[in-house]
Amino acid sequence: MFETIMTWSFWTMLLASGVRMAMPLLYAGLGEMVSERAGVLNIGMEGVMLCGAFFSFAGAYYTGSLGLGLLFGMLGGALISMIHAALCVKGKQNQTVSGLALNMLALGLTSFLYKLMFNSGERMQISVLPKVKVPLLSEIPVIGEAFFNQDILAYAAYVLLIAAFVLIRYTRLGLSMTSIGENPMAADAAGIHVEKRQMLACLVNGLLGGAGGAYLIIAQLGLFNDNLTAGRGYIALATVILGRYSPFGVFLAALLFGTANAVEIRLQAFGVPVPTQALAMLPYIITLCALLMTSGRNREPEALAKPYIRGGR
Amino acid sequence: MKAVRILTRVLIYVLALAAVSVLLIAASGADPVSALGIFVNGIFGNKNSFCEIFVKGTPLILTGLACALAFRTGFFNIGTEGQFYIGAMAAAAVSLRCTFLPPVLRVVGAFIIGFLAGGLWSLIAAGMKLRFNISEIIVTIMLNYIAINFVGVAVHSFLQDPASGLPQSERLAAEVTLPRIVSGTRLHIGFFIALALVVLIWFILEKTTWGYEMRLVGLNPRAAEVNGISVAGGVVRAAMLSGGLAGLAGVIELMAIQKKLLEGFSADCGYTGVLIALLAANRPELVPVAALLYAAAQVGAAAMQRQANVPSSMVSILIGCIVIMLLARAWLSGRVSRRGKQRV
Repeated sequence: MFETIMTWSFWTMLLASGVRMAMPLLYAGLGEMVSERAGVLNIGMEGVMLCGAFFSFAGAYYTGSLGLGLLFGMLGGALISMIHAALCVKGKQNQTVSGLALNMLALGLTSFLYKLMFNSGERMQISVLPKVKVPLLSEIPVIGEAFFNQDILAYAAYVLLIAAFVLIRYTRLGLSMTSIGENPMAADAAGIHVEKRQMLACLVNGLLGGAGGAYLIIAQLGLFNDNLTAGRGYIALATVILGRYSPFGVFLAALLFGTANAVEIRLQAFGVPVPTQALAMLPYIITLCALLMTSGRNREPEALAKPYIRGGR
Repeated sequence: MKAVRILTRVLIYVLALAAVSVLLIAASGADPVSALGIFVNGIFGNKNSFCEIFVKGTPLILTGLACALAFRTGFFNIGTEGQFYIGAMAAAAVSLRCTFLPPVLRVVGAFIIGFLAGGLWSLIAAGMKLRFNISEIIVTIMLNYIAINFVGVAVHSFLQDPASGLPQSERLAAEVTLPRIVSGTRLHIGFFIALALVVLIWFILEKTTWGYEMRLVGLNPRAAEVNGISVAGGVVRAAMLSGGLAGLAGVIELMAIQKKLLEGFSADCGYTGVLIALLAANRPELVPVAALLYAAAQVGAAAMQRQANVPSSMVSILIGCIVIMLLARAWLSGRVSRRGKQRV
């Protein structure tokens, strides 16, 4: 066992599968970060991802095109998150309750629809996205193989990461969203249309969360199961906290969770006597510790999950 | 007049749900009328299935009660799922490993330790909220996953049955399980324990100074604080009681139904408890109604799945729809006051 561990190729493989596992979390985490920065907490991210996964599977299966599958997945995610937006941004309802209800709805809806699909045919599987090597960059030892020998959606995620950074740091739109998350009343007074921006943030949340779910299908598994996401939406919430509400922070947190997941699978393969659950709980413990250690310098948006009512106080 | 208004409102919900149900049943290729017959027959058809409502409802009553109590105090405990497992694990440890005690003491001990374990688990979130101002919503969700994996570790190590080698504990000895009431069914005494706890929590919350303080903390923490009522005290009480109740749900489910600790046996009843509490408008006395209705829907839907091939995940869709309708109604009738306070 130790001979296997002590080779470069082992570490390369480990990191590569860690990056692959991190991708759904990165997409969903970025989506959740955008909406949380604008003050909307979406506990329903699990449901958003699940809908994204199911609709991308159904879309790709029936149309035969992975691109259309991705599109359907993103729209499926947006469907859930726009219900959330209607109830919480427009309707000022409790964001936690709405999110949990949407999780349940998505879980029921996707397994219901999947069962209907399954009745009509044999075992359903779609082919997944091929890997594309980036010339030059993929030649870098260890890192090159891990980061630049992935599928095209992973590269899209890198672009998205930079775009999110620019959006939040340097654009009027991003700054106005952040100001809503911190103090919606001041933002409103400054002439920012609070509800419109929050609706937009929710739309981004749904599209990206849906893409995260779709990634599981069209880049990793190629098939669907009941409750396929199995808690990844909640981990995406954790990446936002651990990543301190910044795009690159979310990226690093997603990498950490992804790699932990990869290590877990490797240990299982080796037959290590430690229960894998001991490792599976580590990301959550790390997140709690990070929350405790940074509690004085809290980055949480001040008005997170508090509905803003014009003229209220 | 008020009764008429409420009646029409309920009627609208029922009609909307019926429409969704017919749509779903028709989509799965079954005949809605005969499917409804199977649904009703699945619930009332025989003694066993009727009692199953109370079996499935028992943990939901307790987790729903836990959430209702916590929400009324302004402590958003989403962690009943984890507290359920911690309670069950503690009870398993006591009833399996403390064999030096007589069985009666082991049962009582399992209840007490299970309650305390669940309560302390949720107290972690309360402590982080009070001391560091960290949102309890996020913390309880993280604690859920830690607890679930903790049970996974336990059934692979210190609580594993060495004889079977499977990831589960030994079977509880018959003298430390909860007795059944109706022969030929799974209905057990835990249901009445849950009802007694509903009465107790209702009494505490509505009729005692303690409960009044908790409600006040939930309604307006600032007003509570300036009137000399400790917000921290209220939150700690709510966390302890609510976590403890969720823990007891785990204890009862373990000692009456599963009779051994294994992974995934909560069947999401912790998360469902949040929605049960919402359906019951966070009122303890309404929690059993909501929980039993939900359980009945589950039992009926299971029969529909068996006999008419209608996926039982229909129940999840329906409860999701109900909650969304409730939220939408609150929005459209503008019940949220201009100050943005929510009903607690």
